[in-house]
Amino acid sequence: MMEYDLNRRDFVKMGAGMVSAIALSPSAVALMRPLESGEPLPVAVIGVGKQGRVILGELQKFPFVQIACVCDSNERRLKSAERRAKGTTGYSDYQELLDKEKGIKAVFLATPSHLHTEIAVAVMERGLHLYCEAPIATTIEDAKTIVLAAKNAKGLFHAGLQLRANPIYDLARSFVLSGAIQDVIALRAQYHHKSSGRVPAPDASQEREYNWSLYKESSIGLPGEVGIHSFDAINWFIRKRPLSVAGWGGIMLYDDGREIPDTVQCVLTYPDQVRLLFDATLANSFDGSYEQFTGTMGTVKMIGDLGWMFKEADAATQGWEVYAVRQHFHKEAGITLIANATKLAKQGKLKEGVGLEHPELYYGLQDFLAGIVESKTSTACPAMAALESTVIAIKTHEAVMSGKEIELRDEWFELG
Amino acid sequence: MDNHPPGLRLARYAMGTRFEAVLMGDDEVHLRAAGEAALDEIEFFDARLDLFKKDSFVCHLNRSAFDAPVRVDADFFDLLALCLRVSRASQGAFDITVGSLMECWGFHGGSLEEPRVEARARAMERVGFQQIELDEDARTIRFLKPGLRLDFGAVAKGFALDRAREILKDAGIRAALIHGGTSTIVAMGAPAGLPAWKIAIQDPEQDDAAIAYAELCDRTLSVSAPHGRSFRSQDRMWGHVMNTTEGGPAKEPLNLAAVVGTSAALADAWSTALVAAGAMQFDALMEAANKEMKPITALVGTTETEPVLSRLKGPEPELFIGPDGSSGTQES
Repeated sequence: MMEYDLNRRDFVKMGAGMVSAIALSPSAVALMRPLESGEPLPVAVIGVGKQGRVILGELQKFPFVQIACVCDSNERRLKSAERRAKGTTGYSDYQELLDKEKGIKAVFLATPSHLHTEIAVAVMERGLHLYCEAPIATTIEDAKTIVLAAKNAKGLFHAGLQLRANPIYDLARSFVLSGAIQDVIALRAQYHHKSSGRVPAPDASQEREYNWSLYKESSIGLPGEVGIHSFDAINWFIRKRPLSVAGWGGIMLYDDGREIPDTVQCVLTYPDQVRLLFDATLANSFDGSYEQFTGTMGTVKMIGDLGWMFKEADAATQGWEVYAVRQHFHKEAGITLIANATKLAKQGKLKEGVGLEHPELYYGLQDFLAGIVESKTSTACPAMAALESTVIAIKTHEAVMSGKEIELRDEWFELG
Repeated sequence: MDNHPPGLRLARYAMGTRFEAVLMGDDEVHLRAAGEAALDEIEFFDARLDLFKKDSFVCHLNRSAFDAPVRVDADFFDLLALCLRVSRASQGAFDITVGSLMECWGFHGGSLEEPRVEARARAMERVGFQQIELDEDARTIRFLKPGLRLDFGAVAKGFALDRAREILKDAGIRAALIHGGTSTIVAMGAPAGLPAWKIAIQDPEQDDAAIAYAELCDRTLSVSAPHGRSFRSQDRMWGHVMNTTEGGPAKEPLNLAAVVGTSAALADAWSTALVAAGAMQFDALMEAANKEMKPITALVGTTETEPVLSRLKGPEPELFIGPDGSSGTQES
């Protein structure tokens, strides 16, 4: 149930000054503007499985982007992608693609994580801009190799930690940093999605290749594939990284020969006794996925394209809050976070601002493309952030598999 | 379905209903993986086609396609082309631009009541499949009028199920049944030991009775019945099946149209068109449907005095059986 309290008349009465408090983050507003370019941008997508397909779909929304070529070692996936992206050329070998396609300016890398390193380095050595899906690698050594190459690269590097480019997350972060919930004393995150995670392989001999996410040699488990996004967003919000990680896991439902747990619980310990409790399961969908920042004066809860702030009863009220859009959630009334609230409030359309116009991935892609088009030197999801979050994900998975708490050493996060 | 065949069963919520897959085979691990891939595909298209999800592709389309042509992928383009073909052949009885009418009459979350004349007139200005322009070379879609609101509700399930079937085929599945809310069904092969999947078609007038059965092997079935969603006003029922020329719910819709074919999207589109156009248009529409597209066979609802299977047309009438076991072979 939504209570919409702001209308145009009220806004005019109270004045723009108060409502501007709702939109503290100009960058969030910038992220909502459509990106344009006069010059066509030819690009390649390497790895056109599940994620690659989604990338292809969202890239279509940028009229100046031309999908010049696609690459996949699997013929069926390649044929599918060639059909989807009109006029594209398909390659089964990425080296051949890089050798022959001289006109491309950027590459989107969406192969399985454990296969990123060689391709990422080759792309960056060619001077091309690289969008690399997260986790960027499955070993610390590989992650450092990629990040070192990115540091020395001519082109931009952008990791697929797209919550950093999500306008609602950007806005929520500004609330947390401004002290709106005061001190963050605890953190929660979860990923609940009922699905075995197993992909049908055409025959038994290809099973391990297709189901890389289920085996120790190629997977960093749920912490690596889904936890990483929450860990990264949380670290970005509170500007700290954990000191140690611990975890437990089990195969609770899908006893089908896999080596990776389908259900995990993790504890990431930050400075000042702050802990993140993270749980993920493939055996249940209740309550989906979210991140939660528990503060002494309020709570911020993020669910993909929606964010709320719940104030404690003894928290001071800002003038603008009286007019904010509220939603009821588990018996609590939370203030809905709306990215371009000021502009919408002026038009009397605040309610329409709830949610995002595009899937999350779009904003990550837009940030990367904006970096290229506007000749920026960095993106919202830079290489060192990718290193940090990938290391944390790798070690959290290791903690789950070993049953031991692991102290995170500084040297793992340093390139030197 | 009036009995529970063996086989692995999986389910997922999508498109406002429950999708279910029943898969035949020995390797349960492989069946589960294949079934989930098929359901993932359905979820993928749900996200693309959901008019109530702000970040769906259809919302993006509705916001952008008047300002400039919008690029679409091959699947979406095929869907649009199919919808326009059925619109032309049915002379607008099926029309994806009904979104504005659905909204106007309260079927998109507003209050279900007769709209005022001005509201109806405004909605009518934003309707008409002729206002959609497809460019096959560029693979784009453009609106020739502002404010068009595409609503794929009548065909989304079938389209998603067709794609799901391809996933199952690719995974080597030969016998399976997948359906969305029991109203759109794709039958692959047949259950072990039987010649076909036997589907009961619910009598629209009586909850627990079957008006007929369809026996399906490598066929799709779509059943449309308008008073699934409807409201009463001025002594008549207003169902959710729109007639774009009338500017609102079809005045004399058929109470049932069950269409069998090889494409679930086509079956969905035609079952809607037949219901919207009404009894008088049945023969003409069936002729148009079977002219230039993949053939369909349709059974539609009859009056109390007519025999149940008497309004049955198309190349495969034998696929329909009456509740008493009588064959669907046409009498006329």
